[in-house]
Amino acid sequence: MKNLRRASQIVFLILFLFLFIQTEYKGKNELGLPVRFFLDFDPLIALSSLLTAHTVRLIFLLSLATIALTLLFGRVFCGWVCPLGTLNTAIGYFRMRRLKLSLSEGRYPGFRPLKYYILVFILVAAVFGWNAAGFLDPISLTIRSLAIGFNPVVNKMVRSFFEFTYALQIPGISPALDAVYSAMIGTVLAFEQPVFLQMILVGVLFAIVLGLSLLAPRFWCRYLCPLGALLGLIGTKQALARVDVDGEKCISCQKCNVSCQGDATPFPAGDWASRECLTCFNCRDVCPAEAVTIHPTTVRTGSGNVDLQRRWILTSGLAALVAVPAVGIGGHRKRTHPLLIRPPGAIPEEQFVKTCVKCGECMKVCLTNGLQPTFSEAGAEGLWTPILVPRLGYCEYNCNLCSQVCPTGAIREITVEEKKEIRIGLAFIDKNRCIPYFLGRNCIVCEEHCPVPDKAIVFIEE
Amino acid sequence: MLDRRTFLRIMGAGAAGCLMPVRGLASLLRPEEEQTLFAVVHGADPAATVRKAVELLGGMGSFIAKNDVVFVKPNISWDRTPQQAATTNPDVVAAVVRMVLEAGAKKVIVADNACNDARRTYKRSGIKDAAKKAGADVMHMEKRKFVKVDLGGGVLKKWEVFREAIEADKIVNIPIAKHHGLSGVTLSMKNMMGLIGGKRDLLHQKLGESIVDLTAYFKPTLHILDAVRILKAHGPQGGSLKDVTKLDTVAASIDPVKIDAFGITLFGKDPAEFPHLGMAEERGLGHRDFKSEGYQAIELS
Repeated sequence: MKNLRRASQIVFLILFLFLFIQTEYKGKNELGLPVRFFLDFDPLIALSSLLTAHTVRLIFLLSLATIALTLLFGRVFCGWVCPLGTLNTAIGYFRMRRLKLSLSEGRYPGFRPLKYYILVFILVAAVFGWNAAGFLDPISLTIRSLAIGFNPVVNKMVRSFFEFTYALQIPGISPALDAVYSAMIGTVLAFEQPVFLQMILVGVLFAIVLGLSLLAPRFWCRYLCPLGALLGLIGTKQALARVDVDGEKCISCQKCNVSCQGDATPFPAGDWASRECLTCFNCRDVCPAEAVTIHPTTVRTGSGNVDLQRRWILTSGLAALVAVPAVGIGGHRKRTHPLLIRPPGAIPEEQFVKTCVKCGECMKVCLTNGLQPTFSEAGAEGLWTPILVPRLGYCEYNCNLCSQVCPTGAIREITVEEKKEIRIGLAFIDKNRCIPYFLGRNCIVCEEHCPVPDKAIVFIEE
Repeated sequence: MLDRRTFLRIMGAGAAGCLMPVRGLASLLRPEEEQTLFAVVHGADPAATVRKAVELLGGMGSFIAKNDVVFVKPNISWDRTPQQAATTNPDVVAAVVRMVLEAGAKKVIVADNACNDARRTYKRSGIKDAAKKAGADVMHMEKRKFVKVDLGGGVLKKWEVFREAIEADKIVNIPIAKHHGLSGVTLSMKNMMGLIGGKRDLLHQKLGESIVDLTAYFKPTLHILDAVRILKAHGPQGGSLKDVTKLDTVAASIDPVKIDAFGITLFGKDPAEFPHLGMAEERGLGHRDFKSEGYQAIELS
């Protein structure tokens, strides 16, 4: 079973990365691929949208499939599907090998409740109008971090290598490598080097999330992930896949505990914490006495689930009650930031901030790399929401890709024709800097580039 | 107030205008077997039209040698369809590619430094698909392939140039005839802008000088003007079909000045009003009087 699980993890990770790479213009106006596939099946995204923006999209119904699966088998999404979980598993794998048997090394059972309190914080904040789910939801976090934090760096590294070999002009070798490079551009590499503001911040935060797996295997999944917490609560019963340790066969070697991905303590019998169980089958596969079975039963209830303490739940809720108004205070609410240009099709600003989950799909897909994560332009509540930075990339007249990938409808689906009618901002000419005004010389680049057939910029001969 | 240069230009233009009828008369007296130096062909099928035009000049074989690497330079600047006439007609491009290959070229490269996103312009103009099908190596102008060279021009000194264009044995220039907000029209010489990188927007301050410099540097072997559809207003990008006129015409010559002068007449304008032609003549790039010798215009049925 363990091998089957690994295969599933690898397949889903590859699918995830494939869809990630495909989140780019590939020669057609329509992407044609469900690039936001993983977000569509994410119940935390659906729930937070429901609570914050009171919107229900038909596509959210897909997350019911995840919920159904979780009700029956527990956190299989975490154990078998989640790409961040798989990355954490892979990193944790090296850590696991060095763990000494029967030691508590690499396990922090006391941290297990943390993620539930984080979930409480997110949900209470959502009810009061702040969509904080996107920051910590593992799918949103992973897409955003890969798009903004990692992809530019990976691209730069690979490109630098090939550009170096190209510049050397070694007969035979340089052209051959350049042919490989040309084939990679636009397929596995981005068409052009991606550039993102806040690349370092977003990238380092993600590196920390991944690096925690060196502290304990799947540290993020075990102790911090709010989606894991949500699925843990939903799958408490996991009626079809309950871990059962046969006390007569058990030799108390604790291999099951050490190998457990979720810190769910299968041993001793009765201590198993179903909410922590990722249904990874490690405990069953590792048991030398074949004492562990995983089977359907409704009779036994896991008594090992940690008690969530009321005062900490209340504290988390209260923290959210403080945080919601706090992040809403800011210049952005008093007066819209002059540079806050939202993508075409963005719903009204107040709703937009509530609906956007900062997944970065729109920024990844943006043809010109003009869509960037905000920092302070939309206040703390709107951190990492998309903003068009025209100096980095313009909004392509014939393109509506960002509206195709948005998982929550913060950017509503619009046709290219509709898009052409939408005014995302208004350009003006700074006569102190404009060459014809200021220097009295010819220049017409803005008029030339104005995509409107009848021209919104006209040239007056004087 | 008139400066000396403008004054001379006006005088020059006036003189050229006076001479024109005489030269026109001369062309009528031209003997039949005279070599065609400027071909204009009118026909419904763009591919057949361009073929005929090159044939009149002596066929592609007289320009392309066996095993040449040929750089074909259409206009693929804008995210527009062929009907919108902002980019070179894909059938014309494909026909040129085929002719060049038939003449024995080893490799044909088709590329342009697009203004809009190149993925979109290559696709939407229809040029990528058409040229690929015809056998060309359609490539994007990726950054690493630009090298800084001394153009030795009047205003353009050191500039970044697309390496494949310099390394190619021949360049075949296939502009489309379009209105242009600044230069009035954009034709063969303006099309050379697509072979360079760097901050091209700066060149617009001295556009005429710049495109003459570029033409003098690249020295394309052959210029083929696509006037199947011309864009008469709101160029160079256009977008509205009401600005497009279908002329079903292709002109070919080795002389960019002739091509540009002819192109200007398609817009009902006088070549004398375009100072860059005078500059190009001074630089020895050609003569604006396209009808004076070797002019042949034919109609395909």
